[in-house]
Amino acid sequence: MQKTLDSLFVCFAWLAGLVTVGMVGLLVGFLIWRGAGTLGLELFFADTPPAAALLGRQPVFDGLWPAVAGTLLLVITSSVISIPLGVASGVYLAEYASGRWRALLGLGVDLLAGIPSIVMGLFGFSMILLLRKTLLPSANTCLLLAAVCLALLVLPYVIRTTQTAMESLPGHLRLIGPALGMTRGQNIRHVLLPGAGRGILSGAILAVGRTAEDTAVILMTGVVATGGIPQRLSDKFEALPFTIFYLAANHADRAELNRAFGAALVLLALTGILFAMAYWLQRTLERRWKGRI
Amino acid sequence: MERADLSPREPSVQIADLAVHFAGRAALHGINLTLEAGQMTVVIGPSGSGKTTLLRAINRLNECFPNCRTVGTVRIRLDGRWVDAYRDFRPVAELRRRVGMVFQTPNVLPCSIEKNLSIPLIRVAGLSKSRLPGRIEWALREVELWDEVKDRLRHNALTLSGGQQQRLCLARALALKPQVLLLDEPTASLDFRATQKIERLLLKLRDRYTILAISHSLGQTRRLADRVIVLRDGRLAEQFDREHLEDAETFEALLEEIF
Amino acid sequence: MISTPRRSRSTLSGERWLRGLLLAATLVSTVAVFSILGFLVYFCLPLADPARLAAVASCTWQPFQGQFGILPMVVGSLSLAAGALVLAFPMGVGICCLAHGLAPRAVARALLVLIHFMASIPTVIYAFVSVFLLVPLMRQWFERGSGFSLLSAALTLAVLVLPTIVLLIHIRFEQIDPPLRLASAALGFSPAGELLWVILPLSGRGLAAAAVLGFGRAIGDTMISLMVAGNAPQFPTSMLDSIRTLTAQIALVVATDSQTPAYHSIFACGLILFLATGVVSLTIRRLRLPSRESLFHAKNA
Ligand SMILES: Nc1ncnc2c1ncn2[C@@H]1O[C@H](COP(=O)(O)OP(=O)(O)OP(=O)(O)O)[C@@H](O)[C@H]1O
Ligand SMILES: [Mg+2]
Repeated sequence: MQKTLDSLFVCFAWLAGLVTVGMVGLLVGFLIWRGAGTLGLELFFADTPPAAALLGRQPVFDGLWPAVAGTLLLVITSSVISIPLGVASGVYLAEYASGRWRALLGLGVDLLAGIPSIVMGLFGFSMILLLRKTLLPSANTCLLLAAVCLALLVLPYVIRTTQTAMESLPGHLRLIGPALGMTRGQNIRHVLLPGAGRGILSGAILAVGRTAEDTAVILMTGVVATGGIPQRLSDKFEALPFTIFYLAANHADRAELNRAFGAALVLLALTGILFAMAYWLQRTLERRWKGRI
Repeated sequence: MERADLSPREPSVQIADLAVHFAGRAALHGINLTLEAGQMTVVIGPSGSGKTTLLRAINRLNECFPNCRTVGTVRIRLDGRWVDAYRDFRPVAELRRRVGMVFQTPNVLPCSIEKNLSIPLIRVAGLSKSRLPGRIEWALREVELWDEVKDRLRHNALTLSGGQQQRLCLARALALKPQVLLLDEPTASLDFRATQKIERLLLKLRDRYTILAISHSLGQTRRLADRVIVLRDGRLAEQFDREHLEDAETFEALLEEIF
Repeated sequence: MISTPRRSRSTLSGERWLRGLLLAATLVSTVAVFSILGFLVYFCLPLADPARLAAVASCTWQPFQGQFGILPMVVGSLSLAAGALVLAFPMGVGICCLAHGLAPRAVARALLVLIHFMASIPTVIYAFVSVFLLVPLMRQWFERGSGFSLLSAALTLAVLVLPTIVLLIHIRFEQIDPPLRLASAALGFSPAGELLWVILPLSGRGLAAAAVLGFGRAIGDTMISLMVAGNAPQFPTSMLDSIRTLTAQIALVVATDSQTPAYHSIFACGLILFLATGVVSLTIRRLRLPSRESLFHAKNA
């Protein structure tokens, strides 16, 4: 009786594992099968000369380049906001905040982490509504708005990874600075931050990945299906995840559908590379501190 | 504390040419040893000499660590039949049930006192619900814990004192009716009083089980041991019988051996 | 008496500045949460009128006939999240047990890497693959409807929340497993027995946290429900029915840019989602998770 229960349980666990591996294999395999054939310069630039497209001299139609460029610009703009802000507040929570303040500020971070991205998008959208009613009748959704909303979306990840990286530094490292007569700020800047650097970096990379993949926020804050490459922060923009979503429902022909598969494969490769980098950093970090103790 | 030998002592565990390697490095080698029923054998030796590894070789607990390789034989007499610990048990759980172990630090499950005993009794020994209360009470009386906890069996075991927790661990092992008991420094984390209490218990138990215990205290070794074996660098360096222990010279030698 | 060096005054004020700056950065999160709540409430205010409120809290969504009921979407969201959780939770437990003793170490490690990788796959890709792989299969198997259904979406969403669930349970297991592993083995538990009778019963909190957070992720997801669930604003009567969730409702209404009255209803949807995920976050805090890693790895769909 006991034995049968145990073996049923073992069978179930292995089944769950195999199904999961199978599903991921199927997902990646299916994308490669349908998407690999589309990869090539043509996927990105269609019949525009790549050099001219890259320099922005000629617009690209029927290619992924504007979406790739849009995603890159979006990720850069958003990360410029989220990473410094997140690292700063992670450091504050780990090194300065204490007692009730720490709990209260931590609550804010946890609540922010829980907000669904569509609600974050709605927040951006309603900001524009308010601006239109009050100060700026011409306000419209745009790259900057999307970047700000995305930054708020990923901010909690950056904060928490920074905080964890700082807090898990070994105790002896914490004493180096004070023993040398450094102030608290100097100790953080010259000893603790470099020590936690890799952990923070891996969190930042994961946050970048999340910025690149999110669709619901940009859906509400200014993404368009065809808009070319944005020239200003107040322009509308294209983005890879939105292209995938849009073409999935609105492909006119086989060629557009293939482009969607190509875009999906490109996005998967992008987030896969970011994941591999973050994972590698995390691993080397673990080994480093384990080696010390 | 004198004790008459009632019957000719019978061997209960035989270890032959035992060697244990961790990641290619030998932690134990060339161990030949016989343990007798109704006797307490105490293992002493410097830190890292392989005492814990020897104990774990008997209930095959070394296998829970990666990169561990064991060669040689360990044979145990269970219910009058000799069985090979490394060949005849498949799965290994049955062996571990018949060879109880108590660790250096108490490791109660973080749930109620009663559950600490009942989970292994039901799930490992397959005891029926009706026989459960009787067995639990028996085990707790055996370690003289019954009177202290009978009114709070449902309290979390972590609320017990260190000595009580260690006795609960002993009761948990005894409840499974083992024939061999492995004790890895059972009093190492306890204060003087709790230690005394455990020692008294062990003296009471040693007639009925085959006990192999590790100790870091020579006084304790003298009080408890029927036989002492000394490990050094993974080898069996020396063995003493009870009579030798009372001899002052041997005792001196023993001191030097360890420190 | 000890004399302090000259520079100390300037470094001291520098310290104070630094501290203030860091505090300001930290306040951003809290301020953001309250402004989001503020905006949602502000745009919901027109609904304070009982007649309008009744219109929104009704069962029919036909904006061109002036009916703005969002109850079907509430039910849709709940049933989709529950469906996904029912599928993903046992799988998550099974995988965690594999990773903690049932599978050989190398397999266990590889499995955990895979789970982390799954957490990094974009939601839109899960939905996209589902549209072109799962939905046609569903259409064939059940020979009913378009294949865009509650069942398809729940299956896809289960894959999405699986890593969240696994990682949370994993963290709890990591805490209680190592100290008990040897003791349980010494008592004669097999690895399966240890997990089933010792570790799982003791990780009640971790399991609860995993379920709650998994539910939160599922209810907050937009892309899968938008692309796979069919978006019919109706009460589902079977797993093969098409449904519309609160999240999809927001996306659809904003995209179609319909007349103003409909807008208020999407802020009501947003507010409901905000409150629901807020309750999830508070519950997780109450369960006092051991590590923040969980929130960091878990997906915010
Ligand atoms: N799991 C393991 N992995 C690798 N090496 C191990 C492992 N367990 C023990 N060893 C090695 O085996 C040798 C014997 O260890 P053991 O724990 O048996 O010593 P001990 O005599 O019990 O020491 P102590 O008195 O400190 O408890 C040591 O050199 C130790 O480093
Ligand atoms: Mg030891």
